[in-house]
Amino acid sequence: MSEIVLSGRRLAKRFGPAVALAGVDVAIGRAEALAIMGPSGSGKSTLLHCLAGVMKPDSGEVHLLGQRIDTVRERERSALRRTKFGFVFQFGQLLPELPAEENVALPLMLGGTARARAVREAREWFGPLGLGGMEGRRPGELSGGQAQRVAIARALVTRPAVIFADEPTGALDQATGHEIMRILVEATKHNGASLVVVTHDPEVARWCDRVAEVRDGMILPGHAVGRDGMGLSRHVEGREGMGSSGHAGGREQGRTRVLPGFEGSDA
Amino acid sequence: MRNLLELSWRLLRGGGRQAMLGTWLTAAAVAVSSALLLFAVAANVAFGARADREAWRHPVAAAGTPVAIEATSQDHVRDRIITIVDVAPLREAAGVRPPGMSRMPRPGEVWVSPGLAELMAGLPAKQLAERFPGKVAGTLGDDGLLYPGELVAVVGRTPADPAMTASRADQPLTTTSPTKIADFAGKAGDEITVYRIMALIASVLMVVPLLVFGGAAARLTVARRDQRLAALRLVGATPGQVVLMTVAEAVITAFGGAVLGLALYGAAAPLLGRIRMAGGSWFAADLWPGVLPVLGVLLAVPLLVGLSAVVGLRRVVVSPLGVARRQTPPAMRFVRVVALLAILAAVPAAFRNTSAAVVAIVLALAFLALNLVGPWVVGVIGRTTTRTARSPARLLAGRRLVDDPKSAWRTVSGVALTGFVAGFIGLLSPSSDLLGEPPATTGLRLTVPAAQAPALAGQAEDRLAGAGIDARVEVSGSSGDSGDSGRRMLTITLPPAAGAARTDTARTALAGLVPGRIATSPVDERVLGDQLLDDVRTGTLIVLGVSFLVAIASAGITAASSVLDRRQAYALLHLAGTPLEVLDRARRAETLVPLAVMGGGSIVTGMFCALPFVPAVMNVTGALTLLVTVAVGFAGVVGAGALSRPLLRSVTANPAPRPD
Repeated sequence: MSEIVLSGRRLAKRFGPAVALAGVDVAIGRAEALAIMGPSGSGKSTLLHCLAGVMKPDSGEVHLLGQRIDTVRERERSALRRTKFGFVFQFGQLLPELPAEENVALPLMLGGTARARAVREAREWFGPLGLGGMEGRRPGELSGGQAQRVAIARALVTRPAVIFADEPTGALDQATGHEIMRILVEATKHNGASLVVVTHDPEVARWCDRVAEVRDGMILPGHAVGRDGMGLSRHVEGREGMGSSGHAGGREQGRTRVLPGFEGSDA
Repeated sequence: MRNLLELSWRLLRGGGRQAMLGTWLTAAAVAVSSALLLFAVAANVAFGARADREAWRHPVAAAGTPVAIEATSQDHVRDRIITIVDVAPLREAAGVRPPGMSRMPRPGEVWVSPGLAELMAGLPAKQLAERFPGKVAGTLGDDGLLYPGELVAVVGRTPADPAMTASRADQPLTTTSPTKIADFAGKAGDEITVYRIMALIASVLMVVPLLVFGGAAARLTVARRDQRLAALRLVGATPGQVVLMTVAEAVITAFGGAVLGLALYGAAAPLLGRIRMAGGSWFAADLWPGVLPVLGVLLAVPLLVGLSAVVGLRRVVVSPLGVARRQTPPAMRFVRVVALLAILAAVPAAFRNTSAAVVAIVLALAFLALNLVGPWVVGVIGRTTTRTARSPARLLAGRRLVDDPKSAWRTVSGVALTGFVAGFIGLLSPSSDLLGEPPATTGLRLTVPAAQAPALAGQAEDRLAGAGIDARVEVSGSSGDSGDSGRRMLTITLPPAAGAARTDTARTALAGLVPGRIATSPVDERVLGDQLLDDVRTGTLIVLGVSFLVAIASAGITAASSVLDRRQAYALLHLAGTPLEVLDRARRAETLVPLAVMGGGSIVTGMFCALPFVPAVMNVTGALTLLVTVAVGFAGVVGAGALSRPLLRSVTANPAPRPD
């Protein structure tokens, strides 16, 4: 794997009697896209929240660029999230009162950039993301796909190290979902950032270089398949001692990849 | 229908912690409104009850056969007023008796109120008790008293007694001439009528903000129901069913709040009863507004809240997709400002016509116009703030103001409307020197028939000497009423620094010198005026206090509901690393900026409306009241907004916010 940007070691988290994470190891390389998959309640969102410094794990460690981040105080984690991480959610993340360009400029302003400069920098993202002319529109005047592209611009505008996306296409139709995933992956990589996508949808996961499947708070041993020609390492996530040999059935279909056991869900 | 109501009830109970919090906030808001509404109603009922209990002291001439002659006058002891009612029975009439007495007083009897009896026992007889001829035959019951502890004496006399024949018409403010009466029903006194009008005006000033507040509370319930009810529409609920469910939910909550408000009022009543008005505090029963008014409040408040809920729901009912997409709203029409300007232009003209009704209507219109202009001004402020914003907090605040000026106005409207009230009465609140310097002379005055003046002066000197007081008695011209040449004034000059005890001894010595006439000092003559001014001041403070309570509660509830409404956006912003302090600052600016502009504007408008009444410059008390108003208002609103900080922390603590 290329240089590891973010890693979690033996992450465990409980909510009362329910075990959300039971000792998970995970690592994300520079400009790599990792999909965390799993059914509802499997612990995938908890894993994302622990990696992103939203939640403190009960035990285990999270490192960003070699620095441990799970033990720092909430204030610093908050600053970390603002500067080093970007977030894309299913929906509802744009402030309805602000026009699109100010929504994108907001993280820069929060970081101390003057308003005029922040808005100017924000505008630069609109053209490349196919949002030309939408700068002054408010979220209510954008389609779902457009709103997600604005959210991607907002996540990237501070040039973070890692983008976290939680079901980024959950509220979109399939065609728009694909489009958003393409933009998300390409824009993230283009900016040298890593991407962590939480999804239950294999179609979405196919856009990523690797897939970690979470079940009952653990990452299942399995294959992760990279995109052709991307030169990314294949890596199997899993706990020590759980080999990858029995799950080498991934097949590639041009740009789309299917995970073992998910062929049936293609339709 | 029953199923629907059951479903509403289940949704109300099972709405989750935050929905429950919203429900409690609404109930709390309605409780405060209802309690204050009950207070406003009770104040009017209480003055009405006083008027009824006091009516017998304002005799109405008998149309048929009279049963008694009644006359009244005012005496003083220390700095308190004693009401003296002279009654001369003419014939036996079963059942006719003054309220608070078991029978008609007989000549030679004195009936005293418990307060007076206590005072007579406490002071030397030479200072008080000897003023009343005859033996004390009984104690007056509460039915005949204005307030607990009032000083009243009913003196029984014969019809031929000179006190029952001589006219007292030259002193209309403090006395009533002997009048033949058929019963003791009487009529409402002028003084209490003035108080009743003032209570009514105060109620109107308090009720308008209360209604605005109640409406805001109802919208608060509806705002968070939008999504869920839209979902119900999607599964096929008819508009009627959706409306019914929402209204049921709002009405159930509001009814709970109203009952809570009744309990709140009940708990506060003993304290409210201690407020002194027109000379004294209140009987416990005065503060009970009566079964019908209470039922009225308990029914009207939930109905109003339900109605407000229906209005707030229109959007959802129109479309199953419910929640309207957020778009830049059209700017408010300038015509709102024109309306206010037109009304203000009418103020000087309207007030030249001093009819109370016209003044009240113009005042109410100005009040309403201010409410109309509010959102427009908030919109303008929002656009200015957005244009000039440098920090994210101010930008957020400005955009928020432009986005929904009406809701921002709801937050500050309470304080702004209170500002109007404060500006209005701040200018009007009478200064203590309105009546001039307090008189320095120590002495008494007594009006006497001109013919007997020299003889009476001699008798007065003898009486005073007998009481051990070295006083000088002089006869001066007419009693002051020009044209009343039949009367002269005896001026009794007491030794300097005579003290209250000596003055009361002199009063007692002079009692009955001229039948039906009572010697008074210049200080005595100011007691009523001072009392009225004090009461206006107390009333002003109560109205301001209530308005502030409403305004601050309203600001707190709106702040909380705005957090609940935007909890998803806030939570996601926080998740993405936005410091909560930025959100706090934005929320504060969102309230404070319009508050500063609108609060100031309202005060100026209120002062402008009060101008026609103000003789000269503003007095110190008024300025001080205004200053305190502004300070308390700002502090209160900021404090109430700050109360929702823990709520913001709680909604953003959930790391995986989902819309509900």
